[in-house]
Amino acid sequence: MTTTTVLDELRSMLVRVLDQYGLDDVEITRETSFHDDLGLESIDLVTLGSLLVEHYGEHVNLAAHLAELDIDRVIALTVGDLADFVIARVA
Amino acid sequence: MALLDVNGLRTHYQRMPAKNPVGAPPLAVCVHGLGYDSLASFYLTLAAPLAEAGIDVLTYDLRAHGRTERPATGYTLKDFVSDLAALLDGLGVDQPVHLVGNSFGGTIAFSFAAAHPHRVRSIVSIEAEPATEPWADKMGRTLTNVVDEMGKEENLRWLAETFGNHHAKLARAAHGIIRSTSIVEEVPAGPLLTALDLQGIRCPVLSIVGSEGFQQDDLTAVQDALPNCRTVVIEGQNHSVLVERHRTVRELVLDWVAEHDGERRAA
Repeated sequence: MTTTTVLDELRSMLVRVLDQYGLDDVEITRETSFHDDLGLESIDLVTLGSLLVEHYGEHVNLAAHLAELDIDRVIALTVGDLADFVIARVA
Repeated sequence: MALLDVNGLRTHYQRMPAKNPVGAPPLAVCVHGLGYDSLASFYLTLAAPLAEAGIDVLTYDLRAHGRTERPATGYTLKDFVSDLAALLDGLGVDQPVHLVGNSFGGTIAFSFAAAHPHRVRSIVSIEAEPATEPWADKMGRTLTNVVDEMGKEENLRWLAETFGNHHAKLARAAHGIIRSTSIVEEVPAGPLLTALDLQGIRCPVLSIVGSEGFQQDDLTAVQDALPNCRTVVIEGQNHSVLVERHRTVRELVLDWVAEHDGERRAA
């Protein structure tokens, strides 16, 4: 699975999450941060976690991954960080 | 997103089943705090490691929080206790559970244990205390302060500049709940627990407090009021014990559940 494929898949998941805020045309790159750029709340990461499991399976466990990080790292999380995590788990 | 009708409110919950359970796994029910909190505080910290260790985990968004519906009124402790009972009923949970409550979530856990002693195996209280008169005074003052101060743009700007946008955003969210509901008036009203009620909470309780947290004036007050409580103080920590010291809390909870579910299995 290529980085480009994963990024495209993450983009479509994020559009679903952002749609509830009426945001559907936000530019999403590897550097986009969930908190500062997309304005997501921690509860949105729960939704994203469910979408990841739905799409990739139980082994892409965002909750387990984030539980190993300090709060500052979670707040600073970017789309690229998430893509790297997904690729490592599905490889 | 997992949703269940709980007392007429669309309630968001998350379950994480125990990995490789031995027999019937223990169930930890995680209850978050007021205002800017949601089930995410547990989902992103404790839930996965507990499930990995063989514990079923259930966590949910309290009314008005996270993805659960926000009625204009109905925020007494009786409502929150009733929601928890209805959630467990709705999900078919009939085993005694380990309640893990953060801040106001711990207050709910104590009131739930007083009302439904047979449904509670143990309580882990994180920076929380039972709903007594001193608690009601403190809670009333805190909520009033939030109403007065957190809605002011200059204060939100100060928060953003001092602690980052994240904190300003949380404060704005908390203020939104407070402004649109009767939570400020109803929560401190209880119903409060008497000293006799507290003596009736006989399940084991672990009280985890920060030395600089909400109970810094009397770190063992909860232990002193209950018949079966142990206190762990996390030095140099403010109220944000769960989020900022989640690895420590994780170890404490894992040891606690192993200790108390071991007892049950041996019984």
